[in-house]
Formats: sequence, C-alpha cells, structure tokens
Amino acid sequence: MNADYAITAEGLVKRFGDRRVVDGVDLTVPTGSIYGVLGPNGAGKTTTLRMLLGIIEPDEGHRTLLGTDHPRDASDWVGYLPEERGLYPSMKAKEAIAFMGALRGLDWRTGRARAADLMETIGLGHAADEKIRKLSKGMAQLVQLLGSVVHRPRLLVLDEPFSGLDPVNQEKLEALILAERDRGATVLFSTHIMAHAERVCDRLAIIAGGKRRFEGTVDDARATLPSRVHYRARRDEGVAAALPADAVRHGDDWRFPLPAEGIEPLLAQLIERGHGIAALSIERPGLHEAFVNIVGRAAAGETAA
Amino acid sequence: MTRFRRSLRQTLTIARRDFTATVFTPVFLLFLFAPLIIGSFSAIGGMGAASVAGPSDKARIVIVTPDRYARPLAEADTRLRAGYRRDETPPELTTITERTYPQGQARAAFRSRDYDAVAVMYGPLDKPTVLYGPLGKTAANYLGLLAGQALAAEKLGGAVPSVTLTKVAMTRERASTSGRNQSAFFAVFGIFFLTLFLAGQVVGTMAEERNNKVIEVLAAAVPLESVFLGKLIGMFGVALLFVGFWGTVVGKLGSLLPAGAAPALAELAPAIGGPTFAILFAAYFATAYLLLGSVFLGIGAQASTPREIQMLSLPITLVQVGCFALASAAASRPGSGIALAAEIFPLSSPFAMAGRAANSPVLWPHLLAIAWQLVWVAIFIAVGARLFRRGVLQSGSVRPFWKRGKS
Repeated sequence: MNADYAITAEGLVKRFGDRRVVDGVDLTVPTGSIYGVLGPNGAGKTTTLRMLLGIIEPDEGHRTLLGTDHPRDASDWVGYLPEERGLYPSMKAKEAIAFMGALRGLDWRTGRARAADLMETIGLGHAADEKIRKLSKGMAQLVQLLGSVVHRPRLLVLDEPFSGLDPVNQEKLEALILAERDRGATVLFSTHIMAHAERVCDRLAIIAGGKRRFEGTVDDARATLPSRVHYRARRDEGVAAALPADAVRHGDDWRFPLPAEGIEPLLAQLIERGHGIAALSIERPGLHEAFVNIVGRAAAGETAA
Repeated sequence: MTRFRRSLRQTLTIARRDFTATVFTPVFLLFLFAPLIIGSFSAIGGMGAASVAGPSDKARIVIVTPDRYARPLAEADTRLRAGYRRDETPPELTTITERTYPQGQARAAFRSRDYDAVAVMYGPLDKPTVLYGPLGKTAANYLGLLAGQALAAEKLGGAVPSVTLTKVAMTRERASTSGRNQSAFFAVFGIFFLTLFLAGQVVGTMAEERNNKVIEVLAAAVPLESVFLGKLIGMFGVALLFVGFWGTVVGKLGSLLPAGAAPALAELAPAIGGPTFAILFAAYFATAYLLLGSVFLGIGAQASTPREIQMLSLPITLVQVGCFALASAAASRPGSGIALAAEIFPLSSPFAMAGRAANSPVLWPHLLAIAWQLVWVAIFIAVGARLFRRGVLQSGSVRPFWKRGKS
C-alpha cells in the first residue's frame, strides 16, 4: 500500500465496441490534494472516474484506490457525485443524505444528524424535511453533494460538480472542496470549466481523445505556453521591423510571445531606434489558454496521424 | 469489516429503502386490498352466473302417475334424497294424477307457468318415459330410480324393509391418495397464485433508479449484485407483509368454518406432515419468489421506459403459467419423468417440490431442492447484474440485449 497516493492508475483502457474511449491513461493523485481531471466533452473523463471507482472494469491497465487493488473494498471511505445527478424524488432531503451515508457504512441515526448539520451549514436547513421533488435543481444537487461527504470520506470524487450550479452555489462548492481538503480528504474532480480548476486544484491532468495529455500543477500547465507581451510604441512607424517575426497587431498594440532571452534586449533595441514605450505588459497565459493549447495540439496530432 | 458483512449491510440498506418506499405510500393500500376488490367482483359475477345457470326455486321434477303410486313415489323420494349432498339434491318432486292422455299431461307440465319442469316422467313405472330439458338429464335418471323404488315397494306389499343405520365417524391414519394429490395441487396452486400476484411487482423496480439516475450513486457505493438482491429482498418483505395480512384474515375466517369441515380437511393432509409441510410451503414460496423475481428483475432492468416494462408483463405471466402447468402435471403424477423434470427445472422446482411434499413423506430431497434453488437465485442475480452492467452502465448509449444487433 502506498499512502502517498490516494489513487494510482497505469495504462487504463476502456473500449466501447471498436472505440477506445479511454486509451492508456496514467494518473497519480497525491493523498490530501485537490486533483482536477480536465478535458473537453467526450474526452473520457467520466469513464476514467468510473473505472477508478470500480463501477466499470478497465479492459486493460491497473489502478489502486486508497491502497487497494479492489476499489469495492474501499467504497466505505469514498464519496462520489456522479455527472448525472440522481436522487429518489419521494425521499426527504435529510433522509436522502442519510441514505447515501448508510450505503457507505454510516448508521442512519448519525447520518440524519450530520445531514441536518451539513444542510444548516450550507444554508439549506429550511429544506431538511422537504421532499426532493419539491427542491429546485440546484438545491437537489447540493443535497446530493452533501450525501457524498456525509460519511466523511477519505477520498471525494466529483464528476463535473460545478455544472448546473449558479455562481453563488459554485462558490459554496469551492469552499466545500477546500474544507474537505483541509479536513484531510483527497478530492478528485472532473471539469471543463478552467476557472474552478485554476482556483482550487493542487495538481491536474488534462485528458483529450481518451489519452492523458498533461499532468502537473496549474503553474506547470500555464508554463506550457510562453508569456505574451503586449506592447504599444510611442512612434509606431517602422516598429514591425524591430519586433519578433511572430508579432501580431491588435489595434494600436502589438502582441507576441515573450522571447526566450527575455524582454530586456528587445526593449533596449526599441528605445535605441526611437520607438519608445507607450504601454507594456507581460501576461502569463491562464489555464484556459494552456488547456486550449494542449487539447488543440492533441487534436492536431491525431488529425495528422 | 469483511466483504461479506459489508455486502450484507449494503444489501439490507437497499432492501430497507425499497420496502419503506413501497409500503409507506397510499398506492400500497390499493395493492394490499386488491384481492378484496377481485374477490368482490368474483362474488358478484358468481352470483350472477349462478342465478342464470343454476336451477331456481321453481325447478321441479314431475311424475304423471295413478294416485296409488303417489305415496310410494313420495316415500322413495324422501329416502333417496337423503343420499345426496345439499348442492346436488334433485329439484323438488311434484306428482300429477294420471288421466286418459298422460303424454299430453307430461308435455303440458313442461309448459306450466306455475313451475319450471326439469324432467317429467309418465307411463307405466316398469317402462316409463321421461321428458327432460337442458339441465334435466341427471334428474331423468333420478326419476328412473324413484320408479324402481316405488315398484319394489309395491311388490313387497308396501312395506319396504326398514334399515337402522349406525354411523361412526372415522379418521384415516394416513391421507387418501386422492386427498394427497389434491393437497399437492393446492400447494402448487397456492404458490403459483402468490407469486403471480407478487413476483411480477419486481419487474419495474430498477426502472425507478434508471429514470431518477440514482443507479450511478448506488453502483458506485454498492456492488450491483447487492443492489439486485437488496431490491429483491425489499420487495419480498412487501410480499411477506401482504401474505401475512391476508393469511391472518383467511385464518380468522377459517375458524368460522363449521365443525363438519374438519374431517374433509383431514383428507387433504400432506404426506410429509402438517407442520413440516407448512414450513416447506413457506420456504418454497420464498424460493419461488426469489427465483422468478430475480429473473424478472434482470429482464426488467434492461427496460428503460414504462412502455417496455408493460410489454414485458405478458411473457413474464406466460413463464409463470408455464411453470404452474409443469408443476401441476408433476403433482398429479408423482414419481414420473415429468415430475422429476419439473423438480429439477429451476423455475418450476419450488412449485413441483411443494407438490412433492404433499405426496411423499421423504424430507431430504427438499433440503437438496432448496439449496439447488438458492444456487439458481444467485446465478440469476449475477447474470442480471452483469447484463445490467454491460447494457446500461457502460456509457448510457449501449443498448439492452434485445435491441443489440439492430441497426
């Protein structure tokens, strides 16, 4: 058993018919971290999560979950929010949370008590005894989320947890994810909304076309693209000759990747030639740009192949 | 916690949810009292049918005869009538004094509006003629018996020897063969009736999880086999509640039976003994429910819409009726090849073995049969869960098995 990693996966493959939906994915999720699995729609994220949890078996490859080769053996310590939300409509909210806890080994009485506390904490205390069918979609989604943490899991797996939530509830969800990490749990979530991943993830993997295209920290991902320089000259005439060949004009500004040797030699040259500096900024690329770049490269590579 | 204990706990959690979700709804009351509704309709229908088909209070058997035979015929009627069960007694006897044209009198009796003649006899008693209507063939034979009795009394000078009858009620040490066959049939029918009513309820239970998309939550936390078994146990609990309720009602009604019914019931005593039979009946009801329920659950889990579930109800009922027919044949021919086949074939085995318990006193085959049936419950659950995992859980786009291969 390797206590450093809550999840390890090597060469996971899943075929549906002739299609390799997941094609040799490797993952190592450090214990106690928040780990994002990013990817475009249809990248194989959900299928990967399902294989990790033992809902479906991989056709090839090997995975461990909380140190065991049999994910079922760890099911009592895992919380899971599936992409397709689902609750029994006739159940009361508190009962639904306790039921999900009971499935993971929590006794019903403790489950009900914790459910009431959790609902109070997240601002849903008034709906504890409401039937699920009477709740709004967002409220029902939060109830299901609470059901996935009521038994205080060591590993929390959330599949597209932010979709369907309004900005206020997205904030609440981010806070809950951070709180779970602070409690000592490992959180793994999939998303294609980069802003959330950028704010909360310690590490992330980008999956596209069933393959893992990137693994590392958010900074590592952003570092896959050079920073971009935004420059405006005092005297614009003839400045293009002094700028790098890939500089592109946007209105009065020029944009180009930060040169490998740094910005200083270029600036010296521009000043020397009398173009001056009216405005200058260097922007690090966001996760969004890095994601688009990585996924775009992958798609281009597959097209070429 | 061991895997077994964890699976057991998860199974019971699912069972508890299904049981409470089914029982604590107003619809359950409708389900519980369904036999009352069916019984009421049957009673109304039965009464209607009886009033149409059966003999009315105005039904008569008529004899056109000289006055001298009227009394011996009436006495013979009194004597013979004592040998019939109440519901088989011939219609009341009416005698008409014979005049010059008895045939015309007989035909007129058939047309009478004062009564409904079922059969009318006329002519000399040693060679009488009987006119009879659609329901009067048996009554015609009875009139012939009356004629014979009256003639015999006449030959004996009107004094029929009197017989002093001493009646002693006896109970058999063992039930009669026909009684055993009857109790075997009742056992088969009883389990068939209960499972027909109750096991079919299981078909649509997975549809709730599919439609509400809860299945993924369950599948992530609990092995699908436990989900299936839990649902089966939950619905079996509902079935037990149903059987317990109606068993109590029928038991209370049974205590109101007349004292004379006991010997008749004693004829139905099963060969294996009453208490053992009761235990085996309960066990076979349980295995029949679990076997058929697991098959229905597995098939029903592949259906995703109420329409598909509805379409499945006909083949499912046919399977049950087929098993009943096989087991009934086995009950009427204990020890035959067909009986052995019915006892071995998993889906008919509980029915056939319940019949065997009524026909044979040997206990050990039942222990073997129950183990055999439970093995098949496990197989059906495992296959059902595998089909569900492959057909439904993969990606949501994979088709159920009956749709595969179609473009």
